[in-house]
Amino acid sequence: MSESVIPSIDFEVTSTAGDARAGSLSIRDTVIETPNLFPVLNFYGGGTINSNYGGGIHRTVKEFMIGHERINGGDYSKFFDGVMTSVSSLTDYNITRERYDDYVSQPIKERDVFSPFSGILFIDSGGFKFLSSDELDGSNFQIEIDQEKVYEIQQKMGADIIVNLDRPISPDDTHNQRIEKAQQTGKNIAKFLELSSDFRGARYLTLHGYNYSMMDEFLTEITRYTSAETLRSAFDGIALGSLVPKKDDRNALIDAVIDCRAVLEDWGFEELPLHVLGISSRAIPLLVALGVDTFDSSTYLQTAINGGYCTSLMETVDVSEADPEQCDCTVCSSEYLKEWMLGDAPYQKDMLGAVAMHNLIIQKRSIFEIRDRVRCGETEPLIEYIESTVAQDKPTREHAHRVVNHSLGGYF
Amino acid sequence: MRKNPKVNEVNEFLEIASDFEDPLEVIRESLSNAYDANASNVEIEIRSREMGSDIIIDDDGDGMNQRDLESFFDLGNSRKTDSIGYKGHGTKIFYKSDRIVVNTASDDANLRAEMDEPWKKLNQRELPQYEVTETPVRGGNSGTRIRIRNFRSGQGFDPESLTYKKIEHYLKWKTIAGSTAYLFDDEDREMNITVKLGDEIDDSRPKLETTTRFEFPDERLEPDHSSEFPAERMCKHYNPTEIEIEYEGGTTTLQIVGMVGGKAARNELPTYGKHSAQFGVWLAKDHIKVERVNEAISHDNEFLHFFFVVNCQDIELSANRESIRNKSSPVYQRLTEEAEYYLSKVAQDPWFKEYLETRRDAEIKRRARNRRSSLKDRRERIESGKALEPTNRTEVLLALERADGKSGASTITVEDFDPNADVHAIVRQGGKLRNAAVHRSLTDHFEDDLTFEEVDLIICWEYGDPTTLREYERMGYLGDEVEFQLENNGLVYGDDGQSFIEILCLNQESDKVTQQAVISD
Repeated sequence: MSESVIPSIDFEVTSTAGDARAGSLSIRDTVIETPNLFPVLNFYGGGTINSNYGGGIHRTVKEFMIGHERINGGDYSKFFDGVMTSVSSLTDYNITRERYDDYVSQPIKERDVFSPFSGILFIDSGGFKFLSSDELDGSNFQIEIDQEKVYEIQQKMGADIIVNLDRPISPDDTHNQRIEKAQQTGKNIAKFLELSSDFRGARYLTLHGYNYSMMDEFLTEITRYTSAETLRSAFDGIALGSLVPKKDDRNALIDAVIDCRAVLEDWGFEELPLHVLGISSRAIPLLVALGVDTFDSSTYLQTAINGGYCTSLMETVDVSEADPEQCDCTVCSSEYLKEWMLGDAPYQKDMLGAVAMHNLIIQKRSIFEIRDRVRCGETEPLIEYIESTVAQDKPTREHAHRVVNHSLGGYF
Repeated sequence: MRKNPKVNEVNEFLEIASDFEDPLEVIRESLSNAYDANASNVEIEIRSREMGSDIIIDDDGDGMNQRDLESFFDLGNSRKTDSIGYKGHGTKIFYKSDRIVVNTASDDANLRAEMDEPWKKLNQRELPQYEVTETPVRGGNSGTRIRIRNFRSGQGFDPESLTYKKIEHYLKWKTIAGSTAYLFDDEDREMNITVKLGDEIDDSRPKLETTTRFEFPDERLEPDHSSEFPAERMCKHYNPTEIEIEYEGGTTTLQIVGMVGGKAARNELPTYGKHSAQFGVWLAKDHIKVERVNEAISHDNEFLHFFFVVNCQDIELSANRESIRNKSSPVYQRLTEEAEYYLSKVAQDPWFKEYLETRRDAEIKRRARNRRSSLKDRRERIESGKALEPTNRTEVLLALERADGKSGASTITVEDFDPNADVHAIVRQGGKLRNAAVHRSLTDHFEDDLTFEEVDLIICWEYGDPTTLREYERMGYLGDEVEFQLENNGLVYGDDGQSFIEILCLNQESDKVTQQAVISD
C-alpha cells in the first residue's frame, strides 16, 4: 500500500494590501497565520528537566509557554504559535558534555515538559555566532560545527523550519570577503540539500545583501554549487539575513527589503514565504507593508532585561513607571503576576520574565492587528495603522510615508 | 467711584492708518471690500500726483447703506462677521489722503459721502468729519466708487517702484486675487479685477486684468531630456485636501493645496524677486496667504521647490493682515504639526524623489561639461608650451619631480606626504631624510602661522610678494627675528640667528638651489 503524498509545507497567500500579504503557513500538521512574529527563546539554558531546562528569564518565559503552575497556569499558546531558537544558543550557559547530550537526545516537542507547546519551531543555524568560532564551546567539550553537524542538531531538536549554515556579511566586508562568504554558504547549501532531502519540515534558504546587486551576486555565487532550478524546487522559504547591523537605519532596512523582493521576483522565488532574521519588532509594520511574511525578534526579552515595559509596539516605559491597570493582557490582569512585575517575585528572572511575557503579548497583538488589516484586502486599513503608530514618531515618520508611497498605493 | 477708561480717538485713527505701511495695502483692502460686497467686477485706477496718488476704486457690488457707510469711516465698527474685513480697520488706510469721496448705490439708498483733509486734520489732532448726502434710489445699478485724492503713498507708489508686474505679484501673493478657495468650493464666486496705472507710473501696458483665482502652472510630471535643465519645467499638483483636526479646546479644518515644481514652472506664476522669498508653505486665512512656515518642510528638502497653501479660518491676524497673532495657541500648534505631517508625505512621494534625482543628475552632467571645457583649456595651455603652474602642495611636489628629472643633478625623492601636518613632506636627498614644508608661495608658510620646528627645508614654487617677506623681517615672526637670505637659498630664524632653514624655490634656478641645500646640510 502506497502512502498518500501530502505536501509537508504549504504557504498560501489569502489576501494582499498593496505589497503586503496575509496568508497561512502549514508545516506538517501545524498551521500559522502570516504575517507573524516568532519570539526568540532558549529552550535549553543550562538546567535540567526539573527546571524546564533553565535559562533564567528564558525559563520563566517557557513557563508561560507551557502554562506552568509557577505562573499560575493559563493558556498563552497563541503567543507561541511560532518560536525561533538557534543551534548556537545550546552552549550559551556553559554546559557540560553530558548536559549537551541530554539536550539533543530528544526533539523539543516530544518532551513531556514541552508538550503543551504545539507551535512551529524555527531553528536557525546560528551562522552569525559561528562566524567568530566554528565551535560549540561547552565547559568541558568543543564540537566542531559544519553544515552536517548543524543539520544533525536541527533534526535532533525537532525543527519544523530549518535554514542552511550561512556566513552572514557585515557592512565593513570587502567585496572579496563577501564573495568568499557567499561561496562558503553556497557549499553549505549544496551539502544541506543533500543531507536534508528527506527532511519533513520546511527548508529556508538564507539570502544576504544590502541591495539588489549584492543579493543578486549572492544568488549567482551559490548557483555555482546548486542550480537555480534546484534551489527553486528544494527550498520552501527565504530567510533574509545580515540585517542586524542595519536595524537602526530604517532607510537601509527598507532598501534591503524592497530590493530583496525584486531579486526574489527576478529569480522566481516570489511565491515563497519571506522571513527577515533578527529585526526589532518596531520595524514590523513597515516591513509587513513591504511584503515580509514572518519575523523573529528577541526585543520582548531584551526590553524586559533593560527594565522596559511596552505600552505599545512603538512605546516603552520604565517598568517602575508602568501601570498594569491600564493593560488588559493576561499577565497584567493577574494580581499574582502584577506583583511579580512590580518587583514582588521569587527571583529577578520571574519579575523580568513576567514583563517579557507582557511585552510579547503587546507585540503579538500588534501583529494580529496588522494581519487583520492586511486581510481586509485594501490598503487603507494598513495605512491607517502605520499612520497612527510609526508615523506618529517624528524620527520614523519619513520612513512610514516612504513605505506608504512605495508599497501601499501612495498618497498622491 | 467707577470710571470708564478713555480712548483718544484721534490718536487711534492716526495709529491704525499708520499701521498700514505698504501703500499696496490700499489695493488689498479695496479688493477685500469689493469681494465682501459680492462684486463681480472691480476696477482700481492709480495716478501719480505731486504729493501722492489719486486712487479710484469702482465695484459693482451691493453698495452701502447708511450703516455700512458709517462702518466705512468708523474705527473698529465693522458690520461684517464672516467676511475678510471684519475688524473695521482696513478702510482707515484711506485717511492718509487729502480727500475721500464715496459714491454708493444700494437697494436702500444712493449715498455720497465726502471727507476733506483727513490726514492733515488727524495730524492737527482734530477728528475729520464727513458729510453724507442722499439722492433717490435708482434700481438695478448698485455699486460703489471710492475716490481718494493725494493718497500719501510714500515711496511705494513711486513711478519708479510701482509696475504692473509688481502689482500682479502683490495681487496673487497677498490679496484675494490669489485665492485658492475655488479649488475647495465649487460654488466659489469669481471676481474680475482690473488695475489701471497712469502712464506716468507704468506705460508698458494699458491695464492689468485678472480674477480672484490663483492658477497653478500646468502639471508636467516627466522631465524634458532634450534640455540642459530637464527638471526645470517639471511640476506636480497636489490636489485639494481637507483635514479635520482636533486641538485642545475645539476642532478646525485645514485646507491644503499646492504644487512642487522646478524653476521654470514656478516662473509661470506671477513671481517678483527671489523664489526663496516667495515659495514654501504659506498659512492662509480666507485663502489669502499670510505667513510662511517653511520649517514644516524637513531640512533635507529645499523649501523653494514647494508651493503649498494651508488655509485655516481659525488663525487670527494682525490689523494689517501681515502676520499671525495666535501663534502660541493650541490651534496654531496643531495646524503647524498637521502641515508638517502632510508635507512629510509629499517629501516621500516617489515623484518628488525622481524630480530631485533628475535635477541632481543634470547638475552633475552640467558640471562634467564645464569640466570638459576646463580640460580643453588645460590641454590648450600644454600645447601652447606653457609650463605647469602649481596651485597647491601636491602640484608643487609634481613640479619638484619634473625639475629633478630635468636637472640630472642631485635628486630629491618624496618619501612621505601629509598635506595636513606641519611638516608636509619627508624627502630623501643625497641619501639623507629631510623634513620639508611645502608651499605654493614661501609667504604661505607665514600666512598659515606654521613654525620652523623640525623643518629643515621649505619647498615652494615661488617666493611670493617680496614686500610681505620684508614685513616679516621688519616685524619679526612668532616673537622671533627672521631674515631672508634668498641669495643663499634660505632664511635665518630665531633670536640667536643660528637656525638656517633651506628654501628650495622651484621657479628659480633649481640646480643651483639643490646643490646648495646639500652642501649646507
